[in-house]
Amino acid sequence: MSEPSQPLLEARDVSKTVRGPEGRLDILAGVSLAVHAGESFAIVGASGSGKTTLLGLLAGLDVPSTGAIHLGGQPLQAMDEEARADLRRRLVGFVFQSFHLLPALTAEENVMLPLELEGRDDARQRAHDALDAVGLHARRRHYPAQLSGGEQQRVAIARAFVHGPRVLFADEPTGNLDQRTGRHVADLLFALNRDHHTTLVLVTHDAQLAARCGRGVELMEGRVATPAAAR
Amino acid sequence: MKLLRLALRTLRREWHLPELRTLAASLLLAVVSLGVVATLASRVERGLLASAAELIGGDAGLSAPQALPPPYATEARQRDLAVTRSAGFPSVAFAGERGQLLDVDAVDGAWPLRGTLELAAHGATSAGHGPAAGTVYLDHRALVALGLGVGDRVQVGGQELTVAAELVSQPDGGQLFALAPRALMNLADAQRAGLLGVGSRARHRLLVAGAPAAIGDWLAWVKSRPLPQGAELVTPEQTQQRMRNAFDRAGAFLRLTALLSALLAGVAIALAAQRYARRKTPEIALLRALGTARARVFALLLATLGALALPAALLGVLLSWALAEGAWRLAGATFVHVPTALPLLPAWGAAAMGLAVLAGFALPPLARLAEVPPVAVFRASMARRVRRVDALYLVPGLVALALIWSQSGSAKLAGILAVSLFGVALLAALLALVLLWFARRIAPGAHPALRLGLAALARRRGLSTVQATALSLGLVALLLLAVVAPALLEGWRRELPADTPNWFVLNLQDDQRADFTARLQRLGAQELNMLPLAVGKLAAINGKPVDQLHFADPRAKEWADRQLRLSWTGTLPPSNRVVTGRWAGAHPPDAEVSVDTMWRDMFALKIGDRMRFDVGEGTLEATVGSVRQVDWSSFRVNFFLLLDPAHASDLPHTWLASFYLPRGHADALAKLSRDYSNLSLVDVDALLDRVREIVAQVGGAVRWVLGFSLLAGGLVLAAALATSAAERRHEAALLRTLGARRGQLRLAAACEFALLGLIAGLTAALGAFGAGWWLGRAVFRLDDFVPPPVPLLASALAAAVVIMLLGLAGTRKVTRTSPMRLLREG
Ligand SMILES: Nc1ncnc2c1ncn2[C@@H]1O[C@H](COP(=O)(O)OP(=O)(O)O)[C@@H](O)[C@H]1O
Ligand SMILES: [Mg+2]
Repeated sequence: MSEPSQPLLEARDVSKTVRGPEGRLDILAGVSLAVHAGESFAIVGASGSGKTTLLGLLAGLDVPSTGAIHLGGQPLQAMDEEARADLRRRLVGFVFQSFHLLPALTAEENVMLPLELEGRDDARQRAHDALDAVGLHARRRHYPAQLSGGEQQRVAIARAFVHGPRVLFADEPTGNLDQRTGRHVADLLFALNRDHHTTLVLVTHDAQLAARCGRGVELMEGRVATPAAAR
Repeated sequence: MKLLRLALRTLRREWHLPELRTLAASLLLAVVSLGVVATLASRVERGLLASAAELIGGDAGLSAPQALPPPYATEARQRDLAVTRSAGFPSVAFAGERGQLLDVDAVDGAWPLRGTLELAAHGATSAGHGPAAGTVYLDHRALVALGLGVGDRVQVGGQELTVAAELVSQPDGGQLFALAPRALMNLADAQRAGLLGVGSRARHRLLVAGAPAAIGDWLAWVKSRPLPQGAELVTPEQTQQRMRNAFDRAGAFLRLTALLSALLAGVAIALAAQRYARRKTPEIALLRALGTARARVFALLLATLGALALPAALLGVLLSWALAEGAWRLAGATFVHVPTALPLLPAWGAAAMGLAVLAGFALPPLARLAEVPPVAVFRASMARRVRRVDALYLVPGLVALALIWSQSGSAKLAGILAVSLFGVALLAALLALVLLWFARRIAPGAHPALRLGLAALARRRGLSTVQATALSLGLVALLLLAVVAPALLEGWRRELPADTPNWFVLNLQDDQRADFTARLQRLGAQELNMLPLAVGKLAAINGKPVDQLHFADPRAKEWADRQLRLSWTGTLPPSNRVVTGRWAGAHPPDAEVSVDTMWRDMFALKIGDRMRFDVGEGTLEATVGSVRQVDWSSFRVNFFLLLDPAHASDLPHTWLASFYLPRGHADALAKLSRDYSNLSLVDVDALLDRVREIVAQVGGAVRWVLGFSLLAGGLVLAAALATSAAERRHEAALLRTLGARRGQLRLAAACEFALLGLIAGLTAALGAFGAGWWLGRAVFRLDDFVPPPVPLLASALAAAVVIMLLGLAGTRKVTRTSPMRLLREG
């Protein structure tokens, strides 16, 4: 396996501290990792170990207290929220544990959202294609309340990749689903990773799911317990 | 007890929630605005009643064709009321060769109990009471007609009396002028002279005055037994029509403003309660899942609400008193001659009403909360509406209706307001739905930033419709208060322009007209108007003599016996409107008479009936050609009966002139009246002042209410905009993770709120215009009132801009929401 010279996503000595009711609280400390384009990368760990916090930092939703994160070669900690939003729109797709579809929009309109934000004219056509890809073309006029959990998550996946992001972040994407449905959703994610070379960063506490990823880290109380290793 | 403690703990924990604070603030405002207005209104009303009492000479009383039995006076004295008796009758007075029919009032020494009797003697005027035995007061006309001066002797009813003073003015129920010259004599003298005995035409009066509670008590006692034969109650409310109209309108104004501000607060309460209920849903679901009984959940909610509401209502009462007293001190300077205490009761009524509004508007959503199924813990979407409780949503509507009903005090006002507000709500909801549908249609093709905003509005269709409706209702109430009420007030004030005729001249002879007019013009009199005046009696209807006719209406008999004032003109006078038939004009082929609606009703007249009048030596038979609606509240001279000039001008008549002369020219008039000693000049400035004073008072009170209403309106705005804050925040966070720029979110929000504001502003302007038009005609009797369209539209647009800015300001926090929120909410 030939390693690309420049990682798509790199964290160096990242820590996150928040001020809680009982004083300062270190959620993350000294986390370093690198994810290359086209990889699938797992973040595992017990509940409360800091996975979500790390994912948020990697995706540029928040900035680290210390350390540096580069996404697509850009230093996230040096950018303001507006610039990071711009970067997200161009490079990033999201899949959440609880789907987060807008209840008043149809499946199709939910998928169109990222394209509309970019002001693209072919939004509808591309939304159709994306829904087609997740096998929900027939349900495009349905509202989230009319869809099962698995279907809602597939719509969310369609929304996440419809604008062709380079990285897809997923926070426990199967956490709210039963095993079979969860596997189907995971299949979709890995198919995207394979067919479109979309980099996949996956947070999960499911060992089976983590095992399907190329590499990963395990967090324990905010620190890297098992360093990233190729499997 | 345990429940109460739990409720108090809940309240303390939840006090930081904006919903609860809005709820408390709305209630406080509802109580304060209702309380202040009700307190002020009650005080103004007391002041007005006191003014009216000054016009009739006492707080209340009885009048009857015979002396009133002693118990009426005894009962009054037992209640610490002052009592006075009087009697009015026509009598001919003689001085030397001359005789003159006079309107005589025989009064005791206590009269008048209220108001002032103005007398003039030896060049000085003074206030006084009834004349002593053996003396009499004569007015200017009587003195001139009899050729007398103060100090001379005159014979009335066979008794020699001394003229002690000239009668300048007396409390007389706000009559503009009496037909005959007037005299005031001692009651005992009149009795001794046998003027009041059986068969006399005297009208006896008993007037009382004192503390309002004692008056009410005495009136209750009077009403508890049958009145003596032919007796009538005399109350300040029954003063002359034109004063009564002023009082009525004033009352309607005050009630309208109180009502609108209460409704505003009600809308704010409803919105806050709805939000609170939504916020509490998961918590209640949890309680239910943990096994709390539905009744207990509801009781807990009630107790929490009660613990919040009672202190707020109490604070509202205290604030109402303080503010009402402050407002009175600031604005009440013009009412100083009528001392009134701060009424305490209305504020308590306002508190009760505020609590009723809270209960009516907040209970339905809370009752629905208690119905939340325990499974909602697992899926929020399970907390869907429970059909059974939906009928509860009629409650706020009913409470609003009850409020309108109880506060308006008039079915007409209540009906118009209810229909208008309902129409506005319906229109706003419809317009919102249509525009939202439209927005959804055009959103895909719109500019990307617009597209987001339009889509956002359309997305929250239910909430957007609720918001638009609430905003419209709030705005229409505000527009009615801020634009329409002042315009109505202005319209009313314009009815009495500064150059309203303030002098009347009676008894002007044909040959004096030209010269008199020229002299008046030299004095600078304006708006000079002359009408012929003939005094006669109704002789026959359709050929049948009146004394052989039988009338169903008891008033008809009295009018048939009376001396009537007849006039004629070719043009329909202002403040008159033909309701049936056709105005005769100056030259109808046959004699025509136009009657007013009261005469039509009293004598059951129809077009084509013939009426014969005896005027002096002459007589005239005329056909009823038209029926007129007369505005008796105008300060113009009006007549029940108007003849056509072609046929009536030969009847013996004098002229009645009215004109406006600026104050301070009275001295010049005094010279004029010496030169034309047969004339009598009547000054109505005092009456005009009374009405102007009422308009000013009401204007002051309305201005005060407006301040509170603006606050309440702001609260409605804030509450309406806050209804969608939670949804907005979640949505903003999602769009942020998807990479939306802040500018995009702001532009979307701006377009969203602008659209909301436009819907609300336009419907409100339309609604306020319609309601104002209708109110002006139906309640305030301003027939040509048109609500000012430009200020209405401008205010509506301004409101739309304010809504947009407020919405944007509220969105600042939303656009700053950290996108991390979504991950955390996971
Ligand atoms: N804003 C915050 N304030 C205080 N504590 C936080 C905050 N965000 C996260 N935490 C805490 O940091 C720890 C890690 O949280 P999270 O990243 O959500 O863990 P995971 O996703 O692995 O379950 C938890 O103990 C959480 O309570
Ligand atoms: Mg997590």
